[in-house]
Amino acid sequence: MASQQQKIQHLFLRAAFGETPDVVKAHLNTPLSAIVEELFESSKGYKDMFYLPYPLNEKEERKGVGAVQIVKMILQSKKDSEELNLEWIFKMAYTPAQVREKMTFFWHNHFSTSVPFSYLMQMQNNMIRRNALGKFGDLLHAVAKDPAMIIYLNNQQNKKDHPNENFAREVMELFTLGEGHYTEHDIKEAARAFTGWSVNTKGQFEFHENDHDSGEKVFMNKKGNFNGDEIIDIILENKQTAVYLVTKIYREFVNDNVNSQRVKELADSFYQTGYDIGALMKQIFTSAWFYEDENIGCKIASPVELIVRYKKLLDLEFEKNKTVLDLQYVLGQVLFFPPNVAGWKGGSHWIDSSTILIRLSIPQYILTNAAMELQSKPAYEEAPLDGYHKKEIGKIKSDWSKLTNSFKNHSADELETVLLESFIQCDAGRIDRELVMRNTDNSTDDKKIISMVANIMSLPEFQLI
Amino acid sequence: MAYSRRSFIRNTAFASASLLVPDFLKAAANIYSPNRFNGKSLIVIQLSGGNDGLNCVVPYQNDLYYNARPNLGLKNEEIIPITDQTALNSNLKGLADLFNDGSLSIINSVGYPNPNRSHFRSMDIWQSASDEDKVVNTGWVGRYLDSTCSGECAKPHTAIELDNTLSLALKGDEMKGLAFRDPALLHLSSQNRMIRGTVSDYKEHHEHPTVEFLHKTLFDTTMSADYIYEHSKIYHSNKTYPQHEFGKQMKTIAELICSGSEIQIYYVSLSGFDTHVLQKGTHSRVLKVYADAMKALCDDLKANNRFNDTVIMTFSEFGRRVAQNASRGTDHGTANNVYIAGGKLAKAGMYNEMADLQNLDDGDLKYKIDFRQVYATLLKNWLNAPQEAILKQKFNTLDFI
Repeated sequence: MASQQQKIQHLFLRAAFGETPDVVKAHLNTPLSAIVEELFESSKGYKDMFYLPYPLNEKEERKGVGAVQIVKMILQSKKDSEELNLEWIFKMAYTPAQVREKMTFFWHNHFSTSVPFSYLMQMQNNMIRRNALGKFGDLLHAVAKDPAMIIYLNNQQNKKDHPNENFAREVMELFTLGEGHYTEHDIKEAARAFTGWSVNTKGQFEFHENDHDSGEKVFMNKKGNFNGDEIIDIILENKQTAVYLVTKIYREFVNDNVNSQRVKELADSFYQTGYDIGALMKQIFTSAWFYEDENIGCKIASPVELIVRYKKLLDLEFEKNKTVLDLQYVLGQVLFFPPNVAGWKGGSHWIDSSTILIRLSIPQYILTNAAMELQSKPAYEEAPLDGYHKKEIGKIKSDWSKLTNSFKNHSADELETVLLESFIQCDAGRIDRELVMRNTDNSTDDKKIISMVANIMSLPEFQLI
Repeated sequence: MAYSRRSFIRNTAFASASLLVPDFLKAAANIYSPNRFNGKSLIVIQLSGGNDGLNCVVPYQNDLYYNARPNLGLKNEEIIPITDQTALNSNLKGLADLFNDGSLSIINSVGYPNPNRSHFRSMDIWQSASDEDKVVNTGWVGRYLDSTCSGECAKPHTAIELDNTLSLALKGDEMKGLAFRDPALLHLSSQNRMIRGTVSDYKEHHEHPTVEFLHKTLFDTTMSADYIYEHSKIYHSNKTYPQHEFGKQMKTIAELICSGSEIQIYYVSLSGFDTHVLQKGTHSRVLKVYADAMKALCDDLKANNRFNDTVIMTFSEFGRRVAQNASRGTDHGTANNVYIAGGKLAKAGMYNEMADLQNLDDGDLKYKIDFRQVYATLLKNWLNAPQEAILKQKFNTLDFI
């Protein structure tokens, strides 16, 4: 049976990115529902990411950009993506608006996008954050007009004479209804409605009337001169959209194994509230079943969740900006670079022979402040010469003082039990206690705590949240 | 600390097998026993970035080629003629030698319908062997593992990738290949004391399927790491390989094959082929890296009588446009050539006719052979695997092996 402390940790790990033992301790006597309220209250406010400025100067903007400038922008964008990535990791770890950030991360994967213009990715990220806990309809309308998304799914090429169906297909298959709930004809008609939705050189949405097909369309058995916004509204009228979204959210926030009865109930109220995302999430986190044992400690933390958890616990500092990106790369999830339009698949897909070894070795690397002897695959344009293979993941500095302070007052006897309860969410009954104590540095109390925690973090069970 | 009996058993659990070993560990212990390995190795070489096939296999008698590439077209001193119509880039001397030995088959115009020009997407298509408009989250080698090696004989080292991260190509639904850059480094990382401790302490099926999955993956990985490390020490090549990462990777492959390890598929990639600007110098360098290492590998295998049991396939995610661009480079194109090397090819030489420069699709080569026909051939004729189940469609096989 999960303890009250583990239930609180469960809430923090799923609704947020986990919390430090001190924060958990401070909430031990607070009812779970009150913690949920607190989390949502502090998620009302938010700050945009504003690291990257608009990349073109006035002259370039006036004259338009040529091939050379585009190559330059792409190269600059690559450097920028490291800054942006690190900035977001910081935000995930330290923003008070934790639920909003977690949902931003979820929608980042749902609306999987990757374009080689970091400025546009930053804009999209801010747009998602603004809408992350609001009405799904507002979010979807904004996504359809989002410059990065338009470029990613080729809607610039979607013109009256030559419709490009890419966006129309994905909006139904991946963003709202799911496969099997629309016809090929629906895709063709929807594509016509999104013709002329384009992007200007300022990186803003622009409607090109001349490219737009304003003729009559038949979409989902409805007839009219629909534009893109009206198509989206018809998709939202379809309750399947609520079922599809809730199923995905349940998988991500509750359990990979879906309970269809619960999904049905949640989808009903999600639809009734007009797709109120905040209300849906609150409903999940205040349900008694959310805290049942089968739902606790059953999910494999994604690479980003794992990194942010470490960052929060140990205030990680990365030697180079690129370090945080390389770490994500070797673990299989780089922010702003999802593998394809379907996003990261998650679950057992995070784990293979390489990633399991790396995951379990991280505590040792952090503890010894060593550079990881791993390299990420070179970029496509990188030449295999010039010793690229000498690259390694930079050093990661850590501060263990928060943890040692939290566990100072425990006797040696109870320490092991206390630490396991604080860091292992799944059933720890089968973990060999001797392993937790193996080769610990007992020279000081602090060092003992540090080496025990590092041992626990090296267990496969620590990968589960 | 005294050397207790318990820790003794732990430390020798791998070597002495079945004491205290739970069921799944017993199943996995078959890792050392003969299994489905059919004695034939397949090496897949991925040229990342979009290799310019037209400047590899050169139509040196064709004016259309030189007209489209006033600066980039290869001159007489830059090519090695291999037929009356075809020459290889002189940096591909290693390949020309293989060609003249009857150990190389060049397949032209390989691609797929509605080609995608994004590196990432097109590479995904090649690795997953999916249709252009479908996203598939498993790779063709991974599905090969699923189909022929699930359950009892499951072991990650049936297919390995010489890299730190595992490519989509080697990920199946149930089974995944093993990625490592260097056997010694893999050995080292699997020697982490907590990892060894966890593996030897895991005593029984865990009720929780996800915990079980993590432990099993870890166990398989450490077993395969041991296997690879042991086999990497059996045969040391004394051949000279080019001094760069790719040369080292090819040497590792040769050593593993010649040591008799039961690795069915080797996967390795070489990057640097995205030559948009001032192509000639860069392209020459990477081609030489590729061909010299290929030649060294093939010579090594021949000297050890393993070349007849090896097939090496080389591909790239797309070719490049026929015409050069304004920066004396080439942009992303479509169909491309694929190279098949091996000691026992059924059809060596030029497999089919050269790319047609007359009938282009908006400046791009048209594909004539679906890349999945190449995969189907390798699966069926070389690996004895059910190609239709793995590729999820039936493709007509070719007859190069």
